[in-house]
Amino acid sequence: MSMWQRFKYRKETRKLSSAKALIGSSFSENQRLPAKLEETLACMKETFGGTDDFKTRRFEVFGRYPAALIYLEHLTNQREMKEDILRPLLQKNAAHVESGSVDRSELPELITNDILFGGNVSTGNKYRTLVDRILDGQVAIIIDGLDRAIISGSGKVEHRAISQPETEQVIRGSREGFIENLGVNLALLRNRLPSVDLLVKTIQIGRKTRTKVAVCYLRDVCNPALSKEIIDRLQKIDIDGVIDSGYLEQFIEDNHLSPFPQIQNSERPDKCVANLLEGRVIILVDGCPFALIAPAVFSQFYQSVDDYSERFLLSSFVRLSRLVALLFSLIFPSLYVSVISFNPELIPTEFAVAVAGGRAGVPFPALLEVLIMEVSMEVLREATIRLPQQVGGALSIVGVLVIGQAAVSAGFASPITVVVIALTTIGSFATPAYDMALALRLLRFPLIILGGIFGLYGVMVGLILIVNHMLSLRSFGIPFMSPLVPGQWQGMKDTMVRGPFWLSPKRPELLHPRNSVRVGTESQSIEQPPHNTLDPVSVGNRRWEDSDGDST
Amino acid sequence: METPREITFLQATAVLISTIIGVGVLSLPVIAVKAADSGAPLLTFLGAMIALLSLSILAALGKRFPRKSIIHYSEDILGSWIARIGSVAIVLFFALLSALTAREFGEVVVTSVLRNTPLEVTVIVMLVLTAVSCRNDMNTFSYIHLFYLPFILAPGLLIVALSLQNADMINLLPIARVANGEWLYGSLTIAALFQGSFIVTMIIPSMPRPAKTLQACLLAIIVSGGLYLLIVIATVTIFGAEETKLLIWPTLELARMTSLPANVLERLDILFLAVWVTAVFTTLFSTYYFTIHSLSNLLRLRDHKMFSFFLLPFIFVLAMLPQNVLDTYRFILTIGLYGLIITIAYPAVLLIIAILRKKREDQLDREHAQESP
Repeated sequence: MSMWQRFKYRKETRKLSSAKALIGSSFSENQRLPAKLEETLACMKETFGGTDDFKTRRFEVFGRYPAALIYLEHLTNQREMKEDILRPLLQKNAAHVESGSVDRSELPELITNDILFGGNVSTGNKYRTLVDRILDGQVAIIIDGLDRAIISGSGKVEHRAISQPETEQVIRGSREGFIENLGVNLALLRNRLPSVDLLVKTIQIGRKTRTKVAVCYLRDVCNPALSKEIIDRLQKIDIDGVIDSGYLEQFIEDNHLSPFPQIQNSERPDKCVANLLEGRVIILVDGCPFALIAPAVFSQFYQSVDDYSERFLLSSFVRLSRLVALLFSLIFPSLYVSVISFNPELIPTEFAVAVAGGRAGVPFPALLEVLIMEVSMEVLREATIRLPQQVGGALSIVGVLVIGQAAVSAGFASPITVVVIALTTIGSFATPAYDMALALRLLRFPLIILGGIFGLYGVMVGLILIVNHMLSLRSFGIPFMSPLVPGQWQGMKDTMVRGPFWLSPKRPELLHPRNSVRVGTESQSIEQPPHNTLDPVSVGNRRWEDSDGDST
Repeated sequence: METPREITFLQATAVLISTIIGVGVLSLPVIAVKAADSGAPLLTFLGAMIALLSLSILAALGKRFPRKSIIHYSEDILGSWIARIGSVAIVLFFALLSALTAREFGEVVVTSVLRNTPLEVTVIVMLVLTAVSCRNDMNTFSYIHLFYLPFILAPGLLIVALSLQNADMINLLPIARVANGEWLYGSLTIAALFQGSFIVTMIIPSMPRPAKTLQACLLAIIVSGGLYLLIVIATVTIFGAEETKLLIWPTLELARMTSLPANVLERLDILFLAVWVTAVFTTLFSTYYFTIHSLSNLLRLRDHKMFSFFLLPFIFVLAMLPQNVLDTYRFILTIGLYGLIITIAYPAVLLIIAILRKKREDQLDREHAQESP
């Protein structure tokens, strides 16, 4: 290949890979429409490459001007096209047509203003706009002799009904979950937050998929630097397609190597609204029912929505038990391994004897035994997720029997190991955020190995490493362990326990909100309700001729 | 330097406390008792006072030079070459201190928990853990100290509280045995256990309000000195002075004697030791961090991360110098005493010369403080 040829070849490939080439190269970037119907149609046909769902419908506007509708068959709302666009245009006896005074140049204005019924009408005079709109599911009306096309109609994509979120179940709280359609999701948010301060910025990401991504935040709460940073990071993404919000998460997170998620995801509109109110930013992606919540700190991952709907004393208790479960899922097996293999003298004698008795028939060291059980548990768990629901039940029965009973009687594992593994697994299910539970599941294994090699000393060393890593993590600049670690008292009321609303009247300062007042100063406090309206002693009680504490 | 950093009052205090409380707690009572018999608590108190004196010298220096670490301002005070000798001595001393901390804890682990593990392995695990963590910036450094603070204080207090059921207050008498020439020597040895607090010279430049350093130092000495005092009192009341002298790590024995009510766990000392890893880690972390940070300051480098693994082999070799446990403690006591020249005498000289030469660089900050009260 000569130099020249190579150069030419490279030029060719570059042309192919450029954005223009993606939608056909039959026109240049800013080329305008010619005023000829046939020419435009030919060009569009070439652009869409003879795909079978590209349809052309020829007709004559008011029976006079030859015209054509072009659209993508399955993307367009057919009924709307028929009723609101085609029918009015085909009328032959409309008043202004009868008078015969319509000039060709006035036609676009007449049609957009007087004829079309749809709400979404615009005109365009470039091929590029035309193609983009058609790909969005709109209908383009091209009239012979006019150099601009009228675009109307709307896309219609079937979507499933709003249903209960599968991943984040709550006892008390909304049953609504996001679905795949971005418009519906935005409506869900808007409906809960009808405020002019809720801003939605839409960007398209993905060279091919051109996925619509909506960044939502509250103008008067969210720190402007944060929303700007998130939009900046999103705009830098250059990828052919965005299939799921998880793609975006991996592009905009701070530390890619950390096992811990630094951006939260949620299926729940109520959770998103609560986070918006705290000053966070929500990222919704078309085609994905999971919203991203950024930035996220560690404490968010073990909080649940119904913590806030239940009364604070009870939800604090529930949250503490969740923390215990989280800790269990991380360190319990490694503690077991290190105590059994290095320091059995730690546990009470009677129990130690029982443990030793249980382990008598097991040929493996405790480390290996626990590792085998943990790995099989992971396999079982993964299998249960992938299987169809009808088979899932059967699998879990088999799993319980095999792992629980048969492994013990086969001398494969000691009963106490089974108990430990079970507690660990249940503990990891109690963590509300799946990605955080996954991180802890992963970190359990190095801890078990460290515990098997160095005993409690090794477990501590491993824990210190993990905690140090968590302390060095930042999510959009916010320390991951805040508010616990930089020591912000305001936020700490909602960390280990869930403080009552009147105790935390301000928004968490870790997000540096613009406006920090959450609960008004006049709100209820614990001392005394303002009026004992229905107190049996005082309700409408008349004593000695004067009314004593009337119920108003 | 690196990104703008802010270390709050609370964080500064936490750094000091968790740096001071380290593996020294395990052997503290025996050092105190050997010097002053039943006067050990009083001796500990005196040691804490000496430490407070040294800290207030450093705080005064820090107040005069709020934007510089000791490596930098000593050059202003003494001139570059003399100051560099002092700085090299500081770096070497802290490298040695890190090595001995790792070694001492390695000895404890090998003796009481992992009896079949070679000493080298435990020492190197600890050093690698520290070196990995030293790659963080100053902010994370203070976060780490703040986070571990409860895990350092709680076990000590728990052990003291649980063990007091066997205490006999008579063992504390006489409180001060007069005419014993070892008082000064003893209290200096105790003060040497507080030497990690020298790290305050590194964190002052990162504090938004260096004027509060003295308060942070005072609070840190009250908390850490208080814990030391409690542990010494508990040991002496339970074992008595003569018995304590026979032990290597009386605090560990203290933990061994105690048990939780209802016999939930048979032995607490192992658990205590496990949680105590955090205390040792924070101390080692501080001294190691200080070593590499000062070294990079001395060499005018922007970043200290390069040294974190570079120094590891040297510190490991230093840690392996002593022959055995007894030799280790001889080393620690000697190095600690000579270290006082660096941590007390040197700053004192610096302060005096700075006052005489009227060197100070806090005008700007003071004006700033007046503008925004």
